[in-house]
Amino acid sequence: MDQFLSAVFAGTSRGAIYALVALGLVLVWRGAGVINFAQMGQAMFSTYVASTMIMNEYSYWIAFFVALIVGTILGAVVDLLVMRPLSGKRSSAMLASPAMRGTIPVIASLGIVGILQAAAGMIWAAEERGFPTPVNSLGLTIGGNVMPFTAFDLFVIGIVMVVLLITTIFFQKTGMGLAMRASALNPEVARLSGIRTSSVRTLSWAISGAASSLAGLLVTPSANLSPNTLDLILIIGFTATVIGGLDSLPGGVIGGFILGLVISFVNVYRSPSDIFLAILVLLLIVLLVRPQGLLGSKEVRRV
Amino acid sequence: MLKIENLVTEYGAVRALDGISFTAAEGKITTVIGANGAGKSTLLRTISGLERAKSGQITWADKSLIGKTPESIVRSGIAHVPEGHAVISQLTVAENIEMGALFRRRKNRSDVKLAIEEAYALFPRLAERNKQLAGTLSGGERQMLAISRALVSRPKLLLLDEPSLGLAPLVVEQIIQTVDDLCRKSGLTVLLVEQNANTALAVADYGVLLSLGKVVANLPAAELKADASLRAAYLGY
Repeated sequence: MDQFLSAVFAGTSRGAIYALVALGLVLVWRGAGVINFAQMGQAMFSTYVASTMIMNEYSYWIAFFVALIVGTILGAVVDLLVMRPLSGKRSSAMLASPAMRGTIPVIASLGIVGILQAAAGMIWAAEERGFPTPVNSLGLTIGGNVMPFTAFDLFVIGIVMVVLLITTIFFQKTGMGLAMRASALNPEVARLSGIRTSSVRTLSWAISGAASSLAGLLVTPSANLSPNTLDLILIIGFTATVIGGLDSLPGGVIGGFILGLVISFVNVYRSPSDIFLAILVLLLIVLLVRPQGLLGSKEVRRV
Repeated sequence: MLKIENLVTEYGAVRALDGISFTAAEGKITTVIGANGAGKSTLLRTISGLERAKSGQITWADKSLIGKTPESIVRSGIAHVPEGHAVISQLTVAENIEMGALFRRRKNRSDVKLAIEEAYALFPRLAERNKQLAGTLSGGERQMLAISRALVSRPKLLLLDEPSLGLAPLVVEQIIQTVDDLCRKSGLTVLLVEQNANTALAVADYGVLLSLGKVVANLPAAELKADASLRAAYLGY
């Protein structure tokens, strides 16, 4: 029973982090039509900033908020310096074709990962470093009994729940949230309604940057920090969005939690070496049974 | 007054508007009619900034609209209801209407509220369905919604692209009548693009007949309607 509960808690806390990654990916996909492979590269960069601040004896919380701000700004900068110029008018007809229009930003995002990883290696050297947690990450003890979860698990689950709640309220109840949904669904009608869709797009990149930098801060304590530690998290987060439906925010979040639980149960009841097999099998089943993802819309789009 | 001079718009090698000039008088309905491919929709899309003019001039309230983005043209009082009942089907009716006033909600909170109430009064069926997704509406209701979305921006000039497309005659009648009332009562200037020339000329003050991107006639609506030779040559009836 304890083993089962600890798998549930570890899985939920891991899933919460994947849900954040998926949230970031879906936001940019819906807002800008780009799969941002640079997302966790950006998060790695902001996590390094936090790590360096903590090594220089700033408090965890100051470093935490600075990293979130750096992640937000980095997201906006990627859009303003790279993606926006790329979406402008093109001289060659080949580059202006719809297929290339969809591909160019994705290739660019791969280039950005390379730049960020190389820059991080140059600035902070490539050796791994640890990253602290704000609360204890060993089994919690209440009244002499060791609980099947850690204080850090609860912290992660709590903070992600708050983020998801705020995101939901933002999208459903505010004018800016409506503007973002309208721009994603039908940019032409949105522009005719007076919505500045290019600013809205930058905002999507910024919010996505914030969500992924939070994911970076929460996931790094369980691995070590190096320029490419977060690559794996991006792959799992991307799988979560495909399972949940690439164009659905709730879908991506649910996909994240499902993957977290599956990984955790395989880890506890089978062996860590079976984790990737389990992810692939799950992905294959979803793609065969429901190719648009659990909550995705039917309209199939090619990336 | 909307003034268009020598307007040229191209799609690649195709010249959709080939030097168009006319004016739309304030507080009047000007209808732009012509066969398929005459350039009617392109004209509206160029005025609202969705297409870029190759050359020529568009002047609204003594200011040039050339080079402006759609989102800034809306702010100068021009609302465009594009072809095909352009609403966002995954949003609710209320959200579609609210969307049209988002850009001015901070400065005119009370007027936005009033404009939304007016839209619901104009089309009571939308009020009954305001929590439904726009995709679940009938074609006529969707057109009403698209017009309401435009009206809550408090336009001085309304660009209407084929509001009758695919709708039952009774619904067309109701929508055209509503637009006519708005124009007569509140001094709204309307530029109405229609393939259904009879319906359009019945309510319009002026008629502009387009053919292959050129203006072939620009007359008071009654005269255009009475001109059998123009009708036979360009509208085919």
